Amino acid sequence: MQWKSKSLVVFLALFLLAGSLVTEVSAQVSMPRLDFRDRKLANGLRVISLEDHSSPTVSIQVWYKVGSKDDPEGRSGFAHLFEHMMFKSTRNMKDEMMDRLTEDVGGFNNASTWDDYTNYYEVVPSNYLETLLWAEADRMASLAVNEKNFGSERAVVQEEFRSRVLAPPYGRLFYAIEKRSFTTHPYRRPGIGSLEDLDAATIADVKAFFKTFYRPDNATLIVVGDFDAKQMDGWIDKYFGRVPKPDQPLPRVTVKEPARTAEQRFAETGPNVPLPAVAITYLAPPVTSDDAYALRVAESILGNGESSRLYQSLVYKQQVAAQAFAQADLREDSGLFVLGAILASEKLPADAEKALLAELKRVQDESVTQAELDKAKSQLLTNIIRERETSNGKGDALGRAAVLMGDVQRVNTDVAKLQSVSAGDVQRVMKKYFSDTNRVVITYQAEASKDKPAAAAPGGGK
Amino acid sequence: MRTTALNLSKSFALALLLMVLPIAVSGQTPSPAPLETPPPPSAPRSVSVPKPVEMTLRNGLRVIVIEDHDMPLVSSQLLMKNGGEVDPANLSGLADLTASLLTKGTKARTAPQIAEQIEALGGAISSGAGWDASRAAVNVMSTKFEPALVILADIVRNPVFAEEEIERLRQQYLDALSVSMNDPGTLAGYVASRVVFGDAAYGHPLSGTMKSIAEIKREDIAALHAKFYRPDNAVLVVGGDIKAAEAFKLAEKLFGDWPKPGAAMPSRGQVGKIEKGEKPRVVVVDMPEAGQAAVVLARTGISRNDPDYFRGIVTNAVLSGYSGRLNQEIRIKRGLSYGARSSLDTRRDAGPFEASAQTKNPSGAQVAALLVGELGRLSTQAVNESELVPRKAVLIGNFGRALETTDGLVAQIASLALHGLNLDEINGYIKNVQSITAADVQKFASTRLDAKNANIIIVGNSKEFLAELKKLYPEVEVIAFADLDLDHASLKKSSVGAAGAAKQ
Repeated sequence: MQWKSKSLVVFLALFLLAGSLVTEVSAQVSMPRLDFRDRKLANGLRVISLEDHSSPTVSIQVWYKVGSKDDPEGRSGFAHLFEHMMFKSTRNMKDEMMDRLTEDVGGFNNASTWDDYTNYYEVVPSNYLETLLWAEADRMASLAVNEKNFGSERAVVQEEFRSRVLAPPYGRLFYAIEKRSFTTHPYRRPGIGSLEDLDAATIADVKAFFKTFYRPDNATLIVVGDFDAKQMDGWIDKYFGRVPKPDQPLPRVTVKEPARTAEQRFAETGPNVPLPAVAITYLAPPVTSDDAYALRVAESILGNGESSRLYQSLVYKQQVAAQAFAQADLREDSGLFVLGAILASEKLPADAEKALLAELKRVQDESVTQAELDKAKSQLLTNIIRERETSNGKGDALGRAAVLMGDVQRVNTDVAKLQSVSAGDVQRVMKKYFSDTNRVVITYQAEASKDKPAAAAPGGGK
Repeated sequence: MRTTALNLSKSFALALLLMVLPIAVSGQTPSPAPLETPPPPSAPRSVSVPKPVEMTLRNGLRVIVIEDHDMPLVSSQLLMKNGGEVDPANLSGLADLTASLLTKGTKARTAPQIAEQIEALGGAISSGAGWDASRAAVNVMSTKFEPALVILADIVRNPVFAEEEIERLRQQYLDALSVSMNDPGTLAGYVASRVVFGDAAYGHPLSGTMKSIAEIKREDIAALHAKFYRPDNAVLVVGGDIKAAEAFKLAEKLFGDWPKPGAAMPSRGQVGKIEKGEKPRVVVVDMPEAGQAAVVLARTGISRNDPDYFRGIVTNAVLSGYSGRLNQEIRIKRGLSYGARSSLDTRRDAGPFEASAQTKNPSGAQVAALLVGELGRLSTQAVNESELVPRKAVLIGNFGRALETTDGLVAQIASLALHGLNLDEINGYIKNVQSITAADVQKFASTRLDAKNANIIIVGNSKEFLAELKKLYPEVEVIAFADLDLDHASLKKSSVGAAGAAKQ
């Protein structure tokens, strides 16, 4: 799950697309291939680039293979706090100069910290490409922190924690899904952290984290848009080529989350929760697993749109839920498949839990229909095309394939794999990963308040 | 589902962006090697904006097409030129509920069939009402556009508004409202609209209140549809990977026999606020368990057709955006919020100007004072050119990036069409923004956005900030969450007492 970014950005629907394009995916639509170039500098920096002259802009992205799972012990939320610090000073830039080089010339920048990686990106008028290559290389080589910018940015991140977790009625539920679903793997620590752990972080932590993970051989530079390849290669060699590759080895998380052996239940509460909710989580295989394609299709059949099984059953027919969702949150290591619902008024979590489990049983016991299968593939395909309307979207697809999945070619080969998923595949993976003894059930309700029994909305009605 | 979001739109660039790079690397501690400055930009590349073409069908339906063949997608929006502003005073949410019901059943298709058919095409169909407009929209792969438009035409022309579907959607609205009401930021927005517009049409929540949604009847819905959903009150915008001639042909085929009613369109009444020189209000909604205080500074702004429109959006851009003054002062300098922003929501009549931020409860009063201070400073001091130039670049860049997706392109054109503006404005945008001067901004701020007439709304745990707020604003009204009534300008349930008499 991605909780965080320097500033809020639009999150794409419920699913992260694992996918991509091949030349001919169905009889009707031919998908443009992404004809990227892929090269490596001597210091280990990987460079993936794709020309696209449809608008005079360019997207520059740097993906570092370090994420929330790499938070130091007792420092949950640190990788994300660190991401914010990357917009402060460097040896050659003062605080917020990245904004001067992007926003002030009509572009923008942002970054997001995920469980397995952190990506930084800018979109600027294409005549600023050299400037931004210089700036990204500069912060890779020479981040500089001080007490003042660290203190104020930590306060910002703590406000972000309040905005995402404490203020919205269901913020604590999504926080609990992270916390309760893993016993051993560092994924058990929510990436947004906690106010206490954020308070405990120091400048020494920032420096150590930078030295450990922010290095050319742990980074992938992606450039998509309006550029001249030869000229750009020269700039990249000049500015990134001089960033030294450190000698010490890169630490990697090797802990594996053990398989679950029994159902576990957690009752969570929060203030201002007008309708109870329930989430049921299962461990999913890694994002690179061959079963991931069928799980994406299952996710879509269960949860994508008003014709999906969960909407039709829980929201439309039984009216037990105000909202129902299925989410395949696939990661480098075992991720999660989550089924959940926010209840309709006067319904109890047990009602929705029963209904969600009944829908799960149905996809395990009976084959999905050909029409459902075709629909899911069509939806997944359309989402892939829509993501690739912009240079930045194309860059995201390249980055996930290269950095998260470790195979950039998948940006062009995954679509065919997705399109070849059969009804039998869907049934098989639903049986393989989902059982009565490997689920975590989280119920979420209004806490018993000192002042009032429950936070019903004022203003009459029923 | 996973989280809420603000918009950041997409990319673009322009010939005019040869602007100063405000490079600021001097004055740092001396280091052994000389400091570097970033390489300057090369010559900018030129840009072209696609050109819309249009025709009007015999029944009055205006059809606009804008071709863009980069990706195999087509986006389309059918908009009716009325929305939440036509809701009767006691039935707020009627236009939105009506628009949402379009996808819940027609003479030819049940609700599940509509979802099934459109989703089988890989697309989604959405409908809803905004201020001054109701919309139904689809976005699909270009090979599937015709069957998608068939469904879009059916839902707009032939909805049946079955009782069973009305009840189902009513319950969903009530459930969604109960959630919104418990989110401090959303609730502060609802309260701000009431405070700014009082009992005028823009004052109610677009999606209604618990009370109004409970009272809406089928005949209200059918009557609104009959009155406003008609071809001579509608615009169809199609954008993306489709030839204009083909789109016109489809429009004629699917909408050509949509009958135009004999009666003329009802005339539009007063929608915006009638200024009566009331004193601005300072309203606190006390929500003891709130995880943050949501702070809003709100007042009337301008209409979309106001001659000051470009002065207004440039002025707003000085305040808003990541490096705008509000975020500079509240987030970047002081760490008081994850983000502070403002919006100049221009509508057919004057819409609201709002500046807002969420902060930990104890900082509620401080953030309110900072919002007021920054708005006021725009009137008293001219903006430096070195600040104004980049803020204009932000606006231009955002505009350009919005045109990079088919949905964005269609939305921009639809907005111009809704307000009866020349579609060529899409080509004049950059020049119009560039022409605004520091004097324009100061004049606009002082004459149209005077901070002295702005209201303050805070939703949060009042005991953490009320004492400090009272020192600044002794006249603050405090309303307990349980006593809040969004159906009236007084904001208090009538049983609460005297304040309820302040009806306007």
